[in-house]
Amino acid sequence: MAQEKPELPQNNIDTFSQLLRFLSSMQLGIILLLALAFISIIATLGEHEAAVQNVYRSWWYLGIMAFTALNLLLCTLRRFRPIMRLAFQPQKNKTVTAISKMQIFRSVDIDFDDENNALNTAKEVLQKNGYKTSMVAGTDGSTVFAERGVWGYLGSLLTHASLLIILLGAMYGSLTGFEERNGGIAGDRFTVENGGFEVAITAVRMELEEDPTIRPRVFSDVIVLKDGQEVTSGTVSINQPLRFAGNTIYHTSFSYVSDITITSLQDGKGYKVQLWDHGQVRLDHEGTILHMMQFFPNFTMNQDGIPSSKNYLPERPVHAGLLIKNGRAVRNVFLQLNKPEVIETAEGEVELLLTGFQHAAIYSITRNLGRPILFGGAVLLIIGLYLCFFLSPRRIWVKYDPENAVLLIGGHSPRQKVFFAQELERMEKEISGREGE
Amino acid sequence: MAGYIPVSETAVFWENTFFSLASALYILAMLFYLTHFSSKKQFGRFAAIVLRLAFLTHSVFLILRTINVQRVPFVGPYEFGNTFIWATALVYLWTEWRLKEKYYAVGAFLTPMIALYIAYLTVVPRLIPIVRISRAHQQLRPVLQSPWLKIHVSASVLGYAGFTLAFATAIMWLVKNKAGEKSALGQALPHKNTLEEYMYRAAAFGFLFQSIMIITGAIWADTSWGSYWRWDPKEMWALITWFVYAVYLHARFTQGWTGLRTVALVMVGWVAMVFTWVGVAWLLTGIHSFA
Ligand code: HEM
Repeated sequence: MAQEKPELPQNNIDTFSQLLRFLSSMQLGIILLLALAFISIIATLGEHEAAVQNVYRSWWYLGIMAFTALNLLLCTLRRFRPIMRLAFQPQKNKTVTAISKMQIFRSVDIDFDDENNALNTAKEVLQKNGYKTSMVAGTDGSTVFAERGVWGYLGSLLTHASLLIILLGAMYGSLTGFEERNGGIAGDRFTVENGGFEVAITAVRMELEEDPTIRPRVFSDVIVLKDGQEVTSGTVSINQPLRFAGNTIYHTSFSYVSDITITSLQDGKGYKVQLWDHGQVRLDHEGTILHMMQFFPNFTMNQDGIPSSKNYLPERPVHAGLLIKNGRAVRNVFLQLNKPEVIETAEGEVELLLTGFQHAAIYSITRNLGRPILFGGAVLLIIGLYLCFFLSPRRIWVKYDPENAVLLIGGHSPRQKVFFAQELERMEKEISGREGE
Repeated sequence: MAGYIPVSETAVFWENTFFSLASALYILAMLFYLTHFSSKKQFGRFAAIVLRLAFLTHSVFLILRTINVQRVPFVGPYEFGNTFIWATALVYLWTEWRLKEKYYAVGAFLTPMIALYIAYLTVVPRLIPIVRISRAHQQLRPVLQSPWLKIHVSASVLGYAGFTLAFATAIMWLVKNKAGEKSALGQALPHKNTLEEYMYRAAAFGFLFQSIMIITGAIWADTSWGSYWRWDPKEMWALITWFVYAVYLHARFTQGWTGLRTVALVMVGWVAMVFTWVGVAWLLTGIHSFA
């Protein structure tokens, strides 16, 4: 039987490589970036929470991002070898014809007719202007080759690679990470289910600012435990998170927790509760509820009858709440420190007494294993951008034409062509200024 | 409960005086640059001197403000706006110093931008009530007390300054395009290719610092809010601006786009930048409401 070749018509290969070319192309990159920009603009005009849920976290938005990443990846892979070759294996020897066809070409009249002398002068001037030079011999005479900012060729490669690293880090971080909120007062302990560890709060301190109207800083000492064993410990406050093994405990806010005793005036029996803002306690079997609204360290009523706090000094602590009967708010309750408040319930009169209050720290607990990757990517991005923009790479070839006693100068720069031309003009003057020295 | 720093009346007086003086000098510089541009060439050097004077006066203002608020003057629309104007003048003066007289024509387009920004801090709030530019000396909220504040804001004012310069050059390009090469107006402006390259350099400078701003902002958010990216409108608009300039840079690098298309992209980028700066603060809400 004749050997059968698998049918792979030329057409198919072409289609495939065309597709690959398109997927790695700048055109697609531009389309994707514009799409991301456009969708983001629309999304920011709406409600923030809705935008996060319906746009930024949607499969299609993340899909466009992933597509952008693919575009970047393919472009980076495709360009890697050519760019490396371009940067590090330049053709140093060029023919007169090649030079005369360059982006920038000049022929400079010079007086002296010795090739070596002329080329060396050019070489010196180029060196003085920060160029790295070399002289290579060719069949039609020697060429002075000079280059500057070669690392600039790698700028786009590095920038793209770093963007990929950043995207990768973000993806890895969100796939392996979590975010939870929790908190408490000194002595509290809570479990972080996703992290498999426990957090014990040993102390919570508030430090008032010199100006007591400024929101104070709250510091809390915590111990992290795993299987009952201490893993780490430290103080957490705003801008000062506690980090361990990719996990972070951030201070996000603080709250007041009041100690309230509830005593029945019927039989004198009482009990203690701790209530946060929005915390509530049931006072009888008919569902009379004390619902705390807000704690004011230095209570005052302003002119419109709205309760507020003058500042953060604990001079007149009041926990304000509502008494709710049958699901309806029936009256306000302002519990002042050590001032009993009597309330009518279905089981008779009840005395409420605010005996004290404490500070609670509220944390956001996260795990982000992608952080070091993100950070590395960010540093590379800055370096890449610097190479891109501040090291404008340029190359110059100089040859001597003995017949006409002229120097042929050709130059090439992928960016900043005008400035390059101006620079060359300056150097040209320098070279012709040196003749006869 | 907002915290204010007690500042003596004399201190406020000198601060305001230097601000007004700097504003007046900036506007005077603008007039001289414009005169230079409209063919009175001898005014160019004069304009450059006045602008330097304005810049020095403005620096004194910023120093006074720093003393009065006892921290870097980077917080709130008034301080940010001033630092941004100062950075714009700095970036421009630096390029002018490097490129000499050739650059005076750019000054005629850049200084009106500075005047526009000054108007935002002074006149605009009177005309549009939702824009509130308070000069109060605010205490720094704990969340803002971080070394990242300094790096983040420094990067952002430099980035915005670069974009402003690019925008001014884009306008020059448009004027040149409209007036034609032969007209007197066209003659007074650099060649279109040169303008495009100025524009590219300024935009690239802005892009580098915009990138640094986004990255340092993310790092800062990560230490204080517990997450480096919250998709909040200010962040998104910074990213949108970044996208637009990325498109511009690619179009120029790889596609060899020139002319009106790139000029248009630079202008769209500037609009996005201005929206990030003022639009988000007054029209959209978010956790960045302090900026
Ligand atoms: C999310 C952002 C980006 C995407 C999706 C993207 C995508 C691309 C793509 C697909 C190409 C074409 C590759 C080719 O045709 O060979 C390209 C080229 C290029 N990009 Fe980007 N890019 C991004 C960001 C950047 C940034 C921030 C820079 C920095 C300035 C940059 C600089 C370049 C350069 C210089 C080239 C030309 C490469 C060359 O000719 O060697 N890119 N980009």
